[in-house]
Order: sequence, then structure tokens, then C-alpha cells
Amino acid sequence: MSERPEAPPIVQAHRAPETPVVAAPRRKSAAAPGFLYAAMRVFELSIGEMLWSRRTVFMGLLCGVPVIIALVLRGLRELGASPINVNNVAVNGPVIFGIIVWLLFIRFIVPILGVFYGTALIADEVEDKTITYLFTRPIPRSAILVGKYFAYLVCTIFVVLPSLIVVWLLIVPMGGNLGPSFPDLLKDLGLLAVGLSAYGALFALAGAVLKRPLLIGLIYVLGWEPVIMVVPGYLKRLTVAFYLQGFVPHAMPSDSPLSLIQELFRETPGVGESVICLVIIIGLSLWLGGRAVSKREYVLEQ
Amino acid sequence: MNQRTRSFLIGSAAVILLGLGTGLVAYYNGGLPILGQSSDAELHYLPASSAAVGYADVRSIMASEFRQKLREVLPTGEEKDKIQAEFGVDIENDIDTMAAAYLGGATGKSVVVIVRGRFNAAQIEAKATEHGAVAEEYKGKKMLVFTEASGDTTATHHSSGGVAFLEVGVLALGEADAIRQSIDAAATGEDVRKNAELMKVVNDVRGSGNAWFVGKFDAIAAAHTLPEELKSRIPAISTFAVSAHVNGGFSGAIRVDARDETAAQQLRDVVRGALAAGQLIASDDPRVDTMLKSMQITGSGNTVGLTFTLPAGLLDVMKGLATAHGMPHAPESTPQIHK
Repeated sequence: MSERPEAPPIVQAHRAPETPVVAAPRRKSAAAPGFLYAAMRVFELSIGEMLWSRRTVFMGLLCGVPVIIALVLRGLRELGASPINVNNVAVNGPVIFGIIVWLLFIRFIVPILGVFYGTALIADEVEDKTITYLFTRPIPRSAILVGKYFAYLVCTIFVVLPSLIVVWLLIVPMGGNLGPSFPDLLKDLGLLAVGLSAYGALFALAGAVLKRPLLIGLIYVLGWEPVIMVVPGYLKRLTVAFYLQGFVPHAMPSDSPLSLIQELFRETPGVGESVICLVIIIGLSLWLGGRAVSKREYVLEQ
Repeated sequence: MNQRTRSFLIGSAAVILLGLGTGLVAYYNGGLPILGQSSDAELHYLPASSAAVGYADVRSIMASEFRQKLREVLPTGEEKDKIQAEFGVDIENDIDTMAAAYLGGATGKSVVVIVRGRFNAAQIEAKATEHGAVAEEYKGKKMLVFTEASGDTTATHHSSGGVAFLEVGVLALGEADAIRQSIDAAATGEDVRKNAELMKVVNDVRGSGNAWFVGKFDAIAAAHTLPEELKSRIPAISTFAVSAHVNGGFSGAIRVDARDETAAQQLRDVVRGALAAGQLIASDDPRVDTMLKSMQITGSGNTVGLTFTLPAGLLDVMKGLATAHGMPHAPESTPQIHK
């Protein structure tokens, strides 16, 4: 019998001495951006979209109407037409400007812009089904609403205020002087900015909460507010226009029919009360709207 | 934010800033300089305590078509020629602007008139001295003071009128004390621009015409003692202003600031009633009727205003009346001699 070849020795695999395994350094997850930073990022994203949308064409047309009226009135005056008379009382430039600010800008343009833009802040994203992309970002959901609100504010202020200034430059020199009416212009500019802020915040809340915010907003602005403002009682305190009235600096001529308009608004709140209430409206609306956006589950229609 | 958005926002901000800048300039200067309004230099010599101030852009008024028509209607200016012969001042061509202040006071004589233009100072001084004026200097300004001779030799001479040479091309005329006050006003800076109540109305009217007058009703009424019965019946008026614009025609505006809205409303009712009465009486004459119909009540709140326009046809009426009464008037085309 031959000898079996020796099996190779079982060599135990040498294990390298245990070296501590250093785990790959864990990457610290990036801290979620703060609320304001997130809101500003959303603002930067939204301002361009909002400014170059079809709504802005509508806003431009709306703000162009007072400018056209001012151009026509000024043109007629330069061509020698007699001044506008109300019950044999000539109405001069500063008074006409006050009427345009109150009846056109504050009672129509500002609320309408608030409705159309404010209700669309969240509703448009839902309709376009792009809200998901915003919600997947690591930012507070309420910052989305606030950022879009700031974008709306900048967009509307930078269209409406130049329109008001052009109207002022055209209308006031008709029987008046620019210098003495400059303080009134500053008050009007502030008034429009505050009005856009208040209506925008209110309808941003409506847009975040309600199903048909545009329709309800239009009913409020064109139906509820004008009617309730002439009804005696406390109900007018449930409108934004009531508090905006407190800032209106212009004296209307005291001969009918303009005195009739003035008589309707005899009950005006003080400036302090108006400021406080409008700040509350803006703050509360944005807070509630932010909460609604955070808590609500938006079901995108397929 | 892309470039297009940024450009739009910058453009929009530029419009806002331009409008605000224009408003600021107008607010602090009482109007835009490019619109040819009177500069503050006219008010520099009018004291802050003035009860009333007035201004007239004499040059533009004299050069206006309305003035030319008026010369055809009114008697020739013999006095004007006399002044030119004596003092070397052609009122129509040598005077650019006039500003006046009424300082109030019990005597009612405190008036100073600041005249800007081209004057022969030596000739004026010589003529004034010839008429008894005494030369003196007050805070570096030369004054010529006319003194009233008094019968009582122990009493001091009471100065009355005077003329002062404030700057090259600027004269002050009026009561000697009033002239001294205007020199003080310019030296200390306490001029009528510091009088906020008057300047508020001045800034409203100064751009509306080439002549205006603004006053505080209380101060003027106090200086000219009104009967108590009349005082109690005049609506409470704080300030009043009259402005006129003379170019091809003559248009004017009167403005009154009442103490409250009730007084203003009552005043408006009075004016409206007066206009209606005037239209009723003058309904036969279409030209006067046209003029009355051109009057319009303006103003709101505490302010009551009345604007009016003299139609060109009314001057023809005046010319006809002048001719009928045998009043001499300048021929229709008179060559203008410009220095």
C-alpha cells in the first residue's frame, strides 16, 4: 500500500487581528431651513410666476382704467373744456383725485385684486397639481403660504402704486397744486398698501380653507361689503372696507350727490382702531391660513 | 427671480420714486419751479408778522393781450408818464414783480411794497431828496425817509413814507417803520415763509395766477374797526385769498377759509343766492349774463371758492361805454418801446 500523499495541512486562515471597523462618518442631515428663509425661497420662486401670469394682464388693465380716465379728464381740461360741476359746484383736481382713490381704487380695484390673487395662492398649485412638489420640500407648509403671500404683495404693490402716482400727477394740477396734496398722496399710498395686505391675507385664508374661494370672495367683495356698509348697525365692523375708511384723508365736497356718498360714511372708525383691527385681520388670516395649509390634506383630482 | 422680473420691479420702483420726488419738491418749494411759479425770493423781505401778503408778476401782466385791450379802453396813463419823467421808471417795462405786505396794526398804514426791476437809483435818490427825503442807513441798507413837518418845534419829526434800496434791482416802498421791519425780516430770516397759517394758503394760490393776495381776515378787520352790527353778521372767516390770471383774458378766483364747515356751507349758500340774483337781474345783457354764468363755486370742507372769467366781449362793452362818456383812451395799436 502506497502512502497517501499528505493532505496539505489545514491552514487556518489567519484572520488579521481585529481592527476596529471605523464606520464611515455619518453625514449630518442638513438642518431644515427656518420659516422665514423658507418663505423667502418660496417668494423668489413665486414672484416671477405671478408677475408674468395672465392674472397680471388683468391687473394691468384694471389699474390702467384710472390712468385712462385721468388722461381723458386732463386732455379735456387742456383743450378748454369747462370744469366738472356737481350741482353748480366746480370740482377741482384734488377732489376728483379723492373720488378716484375712494371709488375706483379702494372700493373696487384693491378688493378685486385681493380676491383674484389671494384665493389663487394655494388653489392654483392644487389645480395644477404642483402642490405636491412644494410639500415634499423640507420646509414648513405654512411658509409656502406666507412666501406666496409676500410675492402677491410685491406684485400688486408694484403695479397699483405707480398707477396711483400717475393719476395724481395728471389730475391734481387741475385747479389744485401738487405740493399741498402731497401728504394726502402719501396717505393714499399707505392706504392702498394696507388694503392690498388685508384683502390678500383674508382671501389667502379663503383660498386655503374653502372649496370655491373665488366665487365666495367675489360675493363678499361685490355683494356683502357694499350692502353691509350702508346698513346701520354693527355688521359693518365685519368688513375690511369699514376699517380702511378710517384712513381716507380726502374731504368730499359737501353738495349732493357727493355729499350723499360722504353721508353714508359718516360713521368711520378712528385711525388707531383701524390700524389695530387691520393688523389683527392680516395676522389672524395668515396664521389661520398657515395652519389650514399645514393640517389639511389636499386631494388632487385625477 | 429672473432678469425680466427684476427689471420690471426696478422700473416700477423708479416710477414710484419719481412721483414721490416730484411731490416732495412741490411740497417744500410750494410748487414746481419749472412751471414758472413765483420764487421764494419775493417773500424774502416780507415780515412773518404780516397780516396780508400780495404778489404780482407785473411783467407778464403788462405784456398780456388783456392789458393791451385794457389800454384801449381806459384813459391813458398820464400819471405813469409823470413817474417816468420824474424817477426814470417805466412802470410797464422796468418793473418785473411786486410783492406787498400789510403788517396790520391800529393805524392801518403799515404797508411795504417790494419792487423788482431795473431802476436808476441815482435819479430816484436825487428826486426823493429834492422832495424832502432824508437819507439814512439801516442795517447796511440805504433808506430815503420822507418826514412830515410838524408845527410843534419841540416834537420829533414823524417819519411817514420812504424808499429803500435793498439790493441791485430791488426797492422797498412804504411806511418807514414797515420798511425797517422788512429789512429785519430778511436779515434774521423771520420772513413770511415762517408764517405757516398764511403760507398754507399762499402755496395753494401762488401757482394759479400771475397775481394773488392772501390775508388773515381777523387782523385786517381789527385794524379797520368794523361796526359791531357788521362784525356779528359776517360768517366766521379765518383767511381769504384772491388770485388772478391775466393773459389773453382775465380769470380770477376768490377763496375764503371759514372757521368750520357750517360757516362754509352758509357762505356757499349766500354766494349761490347772490349769483342767482345777479343772473336774474342781468338776464337782459347776454355778455354780463355770460360773465355771471362763468362764475363757479368751488371748494369743500371749510373752504369756499369762487372762480370767474371776464369774457373778451365785456372789454368791448367797456370800450363802448368809455367812448360814450368821452373818455380818452390809447389808440388800438401803440408801438411798444422796449429798453
